[in-house]
Amino acid sequence: MSNRLPISEIWVYLSGDPLFALIITLATYQLGYLMYVRAKRHPLVNPVAIAVILTCLIIDALDMPYEKYFEGAQFVHFLLGTATVALAVPIYYGFKRMQGKIFHIWVALTAGSTVSIVSAVAISKLMGASDNIVGSMYAKSVTAPIAMGIAERLGVSPTLTAVFTVITGMLGAILAPYILNACKVHQWWIRGTAIGVGAHGLGITRAFSVNEEAGIYASMAMGLNGVISAIGLPIVLTYLRPHLGF
Amino acid sequence: MISGLVQLFLWQGLGELLSKFFLPSIPGPVLGLLLLLAFLCLRGQVDKDLADVADAFRQHLGLLFVPASVGVLLFLPELQTHALAVSTALLVSVILTIAVTAIVLKVFWYFSLKRNKGITREQRHE
Repeated sequence: MSNRLPISEIWVYLSGDPLFALIITLATYQLGYLMYVRAKRHPLVNPVAIAVILTCLIIDALDMPYEKYFEGAQFVHFLLGTATVALAVPIYYGFKRMQGKIFHIWVALTAGSTVSIVSAVAISKLMGASDNIVGSMYAKSVTAPIAMGIAERLGVSPTLTAVFTVITGMLGAILAPYILNACKVHQWWIRGTAIGVGAHGLGITRAFSVNEEAGIYASMAMGLNGVISAIGLPIVLTYLRPHLGF
Repeated sequence: MISGLVQLFLWQGLGELLSKFFLPSIPGPVLGLLLLLAFLCLRGQVDKDLADVADAFRQHLGLLFVPASVGVLLFLPELQTHALAVSTALLVSVILTIAVTAIVLKVFWYFSLKRNKGITREQRHE
Protein backbone atom coordinates (compact mmCIF):
# COMPACT_ATOMS: atom_id res chain seq x y z
CA MET A 1 0.00 0.00 0.00
CA SER A 2 2.95 2.28 0.55
CA ASN A 3 3.58 2.86 -3.15
CA ARG A 4 0.02 4.01 -3.88
CA LEU A 5 -0.09 7.67 -4.79
CA PRO A 6 -2.46 9.54 -2.49
CA ILE A 7 -5.24 11.31 -4.37
CA SER A 8 -4.48 14.58 -2.65
CA GLU A 9 -0.98 14.50 -4.06
CA ILE A 10 -2.23 13.94 -7.60
CA TRP A 11 -4.62 16.81 -7.05
CA VAL A 12 -1.90 19.16 -5.81
CA TYR A 13 0.13 18.35 -8.88
CA LEU A 14 -2.76 18.78 -11.31
CA SER A 15 -4.16 22.01 -9.90
CA GLY A 16 -0.73 23.60 -9.92
CA ASP A 17 -0.41 22.97 -13.64
CA PRO A 18 -1.61 25.54 -16.18
CA LEU A 19 -3.05 22.65 -18.17
CA PHE A 20 -5.85 22.24 -15.65
CA ALA A 21 -7.21 25.77 -16.15
CA LEU A 22 -6.92 25.33 -19.89
CA ILE A 23 -8.86 22.08 -19.80
CA ILE A 24 -11.70 23.60 -17.76
CA THR A 25 -11.90 26.64 -20.03
CA LEU A 26 -11.91 24.72 -23.30
CA ALA A 27 -14.07 21.82 -22.12
CA THR A 28 -16.81 24.06 -20.70
CA TYR A 29 -16.79 26.14 -23.88
CA GLN A 30 -16.97 22.99 -26.00
CA LEU A 31 -19.95 21.83 -23.94
CA GLY A 32 -21.57 25.25 -24.26
CA TYR A 33 -20.99 25.24 -28.01
CA LEU A 34 -22.54 21.78 -28.39
CA MET A 35 -25.61 22.94 -26.48
CA TYR A 36 -25.74 26.07 -28.63
CA VAL A 37 -25.69 24.02 -31.85
CA ARG A 38 -28.29 21.63 -30.40
CA ALA A 39 -30.53 24.59 -29.55
CA LYS A 40 -30.36 25.66 -33.24
CA ARG A 41 -28.11 28.60 -32.31
CA HIS A 42 -30.66 30.33 -30.16
CA PRO A 43 -29.05 33.47 -28.68
CA LEU A 44 -30.20 32.60 -25.16
CA VAL A 45 -28.10 29.42 -25.19
CA ASN A 46 -24.90 31.44 -25.40
CA PRO A 47 -21.77 29.23 -25.30
CA VAL A 48 -19.72 31.95 -23.60
CA ALA A 49 -22.26 32.44 -20.83
CA ILE A 50 -22.48 28.66 -20.32
CA ALA A 51 -18.68 28.33 -20.23
CA VAL A 52 -18.30 31.22 -17.79
CA ILE A 53 -20.99 29.94 -15.41
CA LEU A 54 -19.65 26.37 -15.44
CA THR A 55 -16.05 27.49 -14.99
CA CYS A 56 -17.06 29.76 -12.10
CA LEU A 57 -18.92 26.87 -10.45
CA ILE A 58 -15.99 24.49 -10.92
CA ILE A 59 -13.24 26.75 -9.58
CA ASP A 60 -15.52 27.86 -6.76
CA ALA A 61 -16.22 24.25 -5.79
CA LEU A 62 -12.50 23.47 -5.88
CA ASP A 63 -11.63 26.55 -3.84
CA MET A 64 -9.26 27.64 -6.53
CA PRO A 65 -8.48 31.36 -6.39
CA TYR A 66 -9.18 33.31 -9.59
CA GLU A 67 -5.54 34.38 -9.88
CA LYS A 68 -4.49 30.75 -9.89
CA TYR A 69 -7.04 29.91 -12.59
CA PHE A 70 -5.95 32.85 -14.69
CA GLU A 71 -2.30 31.74 -14.59
CA GLY A 72 -3.29 28.84 -16.79
CA ALA A 73 -6.11 30.46 -18.73
CA GLN A 74 -3.96 33.41 -19.76
CA PHE A 75 -2.80 31.43 -22.78
CA VAL A 76 -6.34 31.61 -24.16
CA HIS A 77 -6.70 35.20 -23.00
CA PHE A 78 -3.56 36.19 -24.87
CA LEU A 79 -5.12 35.32 -28.23
CA LEU A 80 -7.67 38.14 -27.84
CA GLY A 81 -5.15 40.53 -29.35
CA THR A 82 -4.56 38.27 -32.32
CA ALA A 83 -8.31 37.88 -32.82
CA THR A 84 -8.61 41.66 -32.88
CA VAL A 85 -6.07 41.90 -35.67
CA ALA A 86 -7.99 39.22 -37.57
CA LEU A 87 -11.06 41.50 -37.62
CA ALA A 88 -9.31 43.38 -40.42
CA VAL A 89 -10.44 40.63 -42.82
CA PRO A 90 -14.24 41.02 -42.35
CA ILE A 91 -13.85 44.82 -42.38
CA TYR A 92 -12.02 44.54 -45.68
CA TYR A 93 -14.78 42.37 -47.18
CA GLY A 94 -17.34 44.91 -45.96
CA PHE A 95 -15.37 47.80 -47.52
CA LYS A 96 -15.40 46.04 -50.87
CA ARG A 97 -19.19 45.83 -50.81
CA MET A 98 -20.22 49.14 -49.42
CA GLN A 99 -18.82 51.46 -52.06
CA GLY A 100 -20.61 54.82 -51.92
CA LYS A 101 -22.09 54.10 -48.51
CA ILE A 102 -18.93 54.57 -46.47
CA PHE A 103 -19.80 58.05 -45.27
CA HIS A 104 -23.34 57.01 -44.25
CA ILE A 105 -22.06 54.01 -42.37
CA TRP A 106 -19.41 56.07 -40.65
CA VAL A 107 -21.97 58.63 -39.43
CA ALA A 108 -24.42 55.91 -38.33
CA LEU A 109 -21.70 54.02 -36.43
CA THR A 110 -20.58 57.14 -34.63
CA ALA A 111 -24.16 58.06 -33.73
CA GLY A 112 -24.95 54.51 -32.60
CA SER A 113 -21.89 54.06 -30.43
CA THR A 114 -22.26 57.53 -28.89
CA VAL A 115 -25.87 56.75 -27.95
CA SER A 116 -24.79 53.37 -26.61
CA ILE A 117 -22.13 54.83 -24.33
CA VAL A 118 -24.05 57.90 -23.19
CA SER A 119 -27.24 55.99 -22.39
CA ALA A 120 -25.52 53.16 -20.53
CA VAL A 121 -23.25 55.46 -18.51
CA ALA A 122 -26.01 57.97 -17.73
CA ILE A 123 -28.59 55.38 -16.68
CA SER A 124 -26.22 53.39 -14.49
CA LYS A 125 -24.90 56.57 -12.89
CA LEU A 126 -28.37 58.01 -12.27
CA MET A 127 -29.48 54.76 -10.72
CA GLY A 128 -26.60 54.93 -8.30
CA ALA A 129 -24.29 52.17 -9.54
CA SER A 130 -20.71 52.15 -8.22
CA ASP A 131 -17.91 53.87 -10.15
CA ASN A 132 -16.49 50.50 -11.07
CA ILE A 133 -19.72 49.54 -12.81
CA VAL A 134 -20.30 52.91 -14.47
CA GLY A 135 -16.73 52.91 -15.81
CA SER A 136 -17.17 49.46 -17.30
CA MET A 137 -20.22 50.65 -19.25
CA TYR A 138 -18.05 52.76 -21.57
CA ALA A 139 -16.81 50.03 -23.83
CA LYS A 140 -19.57 47.45 -23.45
CA SER A 141 -20.98 47.86 -26.94
CA VAL A 142 -17.61 47.18 -28.54
CA THR A 143 -16.53 43.64 -29.40
CA ALA A 144 -14.94 42.12 -26.28
CA PRO A 145 -11.27 41.93 -27.32
CA ILE A 146 -11.19 45.60 -28.23
CA ALA A 147 -13.45 46.55 -25.31
CA MET A 148 -11.01 45.02 -22.85
CA GLY A 149 -8.09 46.81 -24.46
CA ILE A 150 -9.99 50.09 -24.13
CA ALA A 151 -10.93 49.31 -20.51
CA GLU A 152 -7.27 48.78 -19.65
CA ARG A 153 -6.35 52.14 -21.18
CA LEU A 154 -9.17 53.89 -19.33
CA GLY A 155 -8.18 52.29 -16.05
CA VAL A 156 -11.53 50.56 -15.53
CA SER A 157 -12.18 46.87 -14.95
CA PRO A 158 -11.64 44.75 -18.08
CA THR A 159 -13.49 41.91 -16.37
CA LEU A 160 -16.72 43.80 -15.77
CA THR A 161 -16.42 45.26 -19.26
CA ALA A 162 -16.19 41.75 -20.72
CA VAL A 163 -19.20 40.58 -18.70
CA PHE A 164 -21.31 43.56 -19.79
CA THR A 165 -20.20 42.98 -23.36
CA VAL A 166 -21.39 39.38 -23.29
CA ILE A 167 -24.76 40.37 -21.79
CA THR A 168 -25.14 43.16 -24.35
CA GLY A 169 -24.46 40.68 -27.14
CA MET A 170 -27.10 38.29 -25.85
CA LEU A 171 -29.72 41.02 -25.36
CA GLY A 172 -28.97 42.57 -28.73
CA ALA A 173 -29.11 39.29 -30.62
CA ILE A 174 -32.48 38.45 -29.07
CA LEU A 175 -34.10 41.87 -29.35
CA ALA A 176 -32.68 43.11 -32.66
CA PRO A 177 -35.37 41.65 -34.97
CA TYR A 178 -38.15 43.23 -32.91
CA ILE A 179 -36.41 46.61 -32.64
CA LEU A 180 -35.66 46.70 -36.38
CA ASN A 181 -39.20 45.70 -37.31
CA ALA A 182 -40.56 48.38 -34.99
CA CYS A 183 -38.36 50.93 -36.80
CA LYS A 184 -39.67 49.57 -40.13
CA VAL A 185 -36.18 48.89 -41.45
CA HIS A 186 -36.17 46.13 -44.06
CA GLN A 187 -32.94 46.56 -46.06
CA TRP A 188 -30.58 43.74 -45.13
CA TRP A 189 -27.47 45.89 -45.14
CA ILE A 190 -29.03 48.38 -42.71
CA ARG A 191 -30.29 45.62 -40.43
CA GLY A 192 -26.85 43.97 -40.45
CA THR A 193 -24.98 47.18 -39.70
CA ALA A 194 -27.29 48.01 -36.78
CA ILE A 195 -26.91 44.52 -35.31
CA GLY A 196 -23.12 44.66 -35.67
CA VAL A 197 -22.97 47.92 -33.72
CA GLY A 198 -25.46 46.90 -31.06
CA ALA A 199 -24.83 43.22 -30.51
CA HIS A 200 -21.28 42.55 -31.87
CA GLY A 201 -20.15 38.89 -32.04
CA LEU A 202 -23.42 37.19 -31.21
CA GLY A 203 -25.34 39.62 -33.40
CA ILE A 204 -23.12 38.64 -36.33
CA THR A 205 -23.83 34.95 -35.87
CA ARG A 206 -27.52 35.75 -35.80
CA ALA A 207 -27.24 38.00 -38.86
CA PHE A 208 -25.34 35.37 -40.89
CA SER A 209 -28.00 32.77 -40.07
CA VAL A 210 -30.70 35.02 -41.54
CA ASN A 211 -29.00 36.63 -44.53
CA GLU A 212 -25.43 36.63 -45.83
CA GLU A 213 -25.36 40.29 -46.76
CA ALA A 214 -26.58 41.22 -43.28
CA GLY A 215 -23.78 39.07 -41.80
CA ILE A 216 -21.04 40.73 -43.85
CA TYR A 217 -22.27 44.20 -42.94
CA ALA A 218 -22.60 43.17 -39.29
CA SER A 219 -18.99 41.91 -39.17
CA MET A 220 -17.75 45.08 -40.76
CA ALA A 221 -19.81 47.29 -38.45
CA MET A 222 -18.57 45.43 -35.39
CA GLY A 223 -14.92 45.81 -36.41
CA LEU A 224 -15.23 49.45 -37.44
CA ASN A 225 -17.16 50.33 -34.30
CA GLY A 226 -14.32 48.82 -32.27
CA VAL A 227 -11.72 50.84 -34.15
CA ILE A 228 -13.65 54.10 -33.85
CA SER A 229 -14.23 53.55 -30.13
CA ALA A 230 -10.64 52.53 -29.45
CA ILE A 231 -9.35 55.70 -31.08
CA GLY A 232 -12.13 58.06 -29.99
CA LEU A 233 -13.01 57.03 -26.43
CA PRO A 234 -9.69 57.76 -24.71
CA ILE A 235 -9.47 61.14 -26.45
CA VAL A 236 -13.06 62.17 -25.65
CA LEU A 237 -12.79 60.95 -22.08
CA THR A 238 -9.60 62.82 -21.23
CA TYR A 239 -11.55 66.02 -21.99
CA LEU A 240 -14.83 64.95 -20.40
CA ARG A 241 -13.63 63.20 -17.28
CA PRO A 242 -13.00 66.29 -15.15
CA HIS A 243 -16.58 67.45 -15.89
CA LEU A 244 -18.14 64.09 -15.15
CA GLY A 245 -16.52 63.91 -11.77
CA PHE A 246 -15.44 60.33 -12.33
CA MET B 1 -3.20 27.73 -41.47
CA ILE B 2 0.24 28.36 -39.96
CA SER B 3 1.13 31.07 -42.43
CA GLY B 4 -2.13 32.86 -41.60
CA LEU B 5 -1.30 32.79 -37.89
CA VAL B 6 2.23 33.99 -38.52
CA GLN B 7 0.91 36.93 -40.52
CA LEU B 8 -1.52 37.87 -37.75
CA PHE B 9 1.19 37.66 -35.08
CA LEU B 10 3.51 39.82 -37.15
CA TRP B 11 0.88 42.54 -37.64
CA GLN B 12 -0.01 42.32 -33.97
CA GLY B 13 3.65 42.70 -33.01
CA LEU B 14 4.04 45.68 -35.30
CA GLY B 15 0.91 47.23 -33.76
CA GLU B 16 2.20 46.65 -30.23
CA LEU B 17 5.49 48.34 -31.09
CA LEU B 18 3.72 51.33 -32.61
CA SER B 19 1.45 51.59 -29.58
CA LYS B 20 4.34 51.34 -27.16
CA PHE B 21 6.48 54.02 -28.76
CA PHE B 22 4.18 56.36 -30.67
CA LEU B 23 0.46 56.02 -29.88
CA PRO B 24 0.08 54.82 -26.30
CA SER B 25 -3.63 55.73 -26.13
CA ILE B 26 -4.62 53.13 -28.77
CA PRO B 27 -4.30 49.40 -27.96
CA GLY B 28 -1.61 47.64 -30.00
CA PRO B 29 -3.95 45.03 -31.54
CA VAL B 30 -6.21 47.79 -32.89
CA LEU B 31 -3.21 49.39 -34.59
CA GLY B 32 -2.30 45.94 -35.92
CA LEU B 33 -5.83 45.64 -37.29
CA LEU B 34 -5.53 49.01 -39.06
CA LEU B 35 -2.11 48.11 -40.53
CA LEU B 36 -3.43 44.78 -41.81
CA LEU B 37 -6.52 46.51 -43.23
CA ALA B 38 -4.33 49.03 -45.07
CA PHE B 39 -2.20 46.18 -46.38
CA LEU B 40 -5.26 44.26 -47.62
CA CYS B 41 -6.67 47.36 -49.33
CA LEU B 42 -3.35 47.96 -51.10
CA ARG B 43 -3.06 44.35 -52.10
CA GLY B 44 -6.66 44.06 -53.22
CA GLN B 45 -7.14 40.48 -51.99
CA VAL B 46 -6.97 38.22 -48.94
CA ASP B 47 -4.86 35.08 -49.19
CA LYS B 48 -6.63 31.85 -48.35
CA ASP B 49 -4.59 30.95 -45.28
CA LEU B 50 -5.25 34.30 -43.67
CA ALA B 51 -8.95 34.17 -44.55
CA ASP B 52 -9.26 30.70 -42.95
CA VAL B 53 -7.58 31.73 -39.70
CA ALA B 54 -9.56 34.97 -39.52
CA ASP B 55 -12.76 33.01 -40.03
CA ALA B 56 -11.89 30.56 -37.25
CA PHE B 57 -11.19 33.44 -34.88
CA ARG B 58 -14.45 35.15 -35.79
CA GLN B 59 -16.48 32.00 -35.15
CA HIS B 60 -14.98 31.27 -31.75
CA LEU B 61 -14.21 34.78 -30.58
CA GLY B 62 -16.32 34.02 -27.51
CA LEU B 63 -13.95 31.36 -26.19
CA LEU B 64 -11.17 33.90 -25.88
CA PHE B 65 -12.94 36.07 -23.35
CA VAL B 66 -13.99 33.26 -21.05
CA PRO B 67 -10.88 33.62 -18.80
CA ALA B 68 -11.47 37.32 -18.23
CA SER B 69 -15.21 36.92 -17.74
CA VAL B 70 -14.69 34.29 -15.05
CA GLY B 71 -13.26 37.17 -13.02
CA VAL B 72 -16.90 38.15 -12.51
CA LEU B 73 -16.62 35.97 -9.39
CA LEU B 74 -14.66 38.79 -7.78
CA PHE B 75 -17.43 41.29 -8.53
CA LEU B 76 -20.51 39.26 -7.62
CA PRO B 77 -21.40 41.14 -4.39
CA GLU B 78 -21.00 44.49 -6.15
CA LEU B 79 -23.15 43.37 -9.08
CA GLN B 80 -25.86 42.04 -6.78
CA THR B 81 -26.17 45.37 -4.97
CA HIS B 82 -26.54 47.22 -8.25
CA ALA B 83 -28.42 44.58 -10.23
CA LEU B 84 -31.33 46.81 -11.17
CA ALA B 85 -29.13 49.68 -12.37
CA VAL B 86 -26.94 47.32 -14.41
CA SER B 87 -29.82 45.52 -16.10
CA THR B 88 -31.76 48.69 -16.90
CA ALA B 89 -28.67 50.41 -18.30
CA LEU B 90 -27.76 47.43 -20.49
CA LEU B 91 -31.29 46.84 -21.76
CA VAL B 92 -32.17 50.45 -22.61
CA SER B 93 -28.76 51.06 -24.13
CA VAL B 94 -28.97 48.05 -26.45
CA ILE B 95 -32.40 49.05 -27.72
CA LEU B 96 -31.33 52.66 -28.33
CA THR B 97 -28.06 51.67 -30.02
CA ILE B 98 -29.69 49.39 -32.56
CA ALA B 99 -32.61 51.75 -33.19
CA VAL B 100 -30.45 54.87 -33.64
CA THR B 101 -27.95 53.19 -35.98
CA ALA B 102 -30.76 51.76 -38.12
CA ILE B 103 -32.74 55.01 -38.24
CA VAL B 104 -29.72 57.14 -39.20
CA LEU B 105 -28.92 54.77 -42.07
CA LYS B 106 -32.57 54.69 -43.12
CA VAL B 107 -32.73 58.49 -43.26
CA PHE B 108 -29.58 58.60 -45.41
CA TRP B 109 -30.96 55.87 -47.63
CA TYR B 110 -34.26 57.71 -48.04
CA PHE B 111 -32.53 60.93 -49.06
CA SER B 112 -30.16 59.27 -51.51
CA LEU B 113 -33.12 57.45 -53.05
CA LYS B 114 -34.98 60.71 -53.42
CA ARG B 115 -31.95 62.39 -54.97
CA ASN B 116 -31.45 59.56 -57.43
CA LYS B 117 -35.08 59.74 -58.45
CA GLY B 118 -34.68 63.50 -58.95
CA ILE B 119 -31.72 62.96 -61.25
CA THR B 120 -33.46 60.34 -63.33
CA ARG B 121 -36.47 62.63 -63.73
CA GLU B 122 -34.26 65.53 -64.85
CA GLN B 123 -32.50 63.25 -67.28
CA ARG B 124 -35.84 62.20 -68.69
CA HIS B 125 -36.80 65.85 -69.18
CA GLU B 126 -33.62 66.45 -71.10
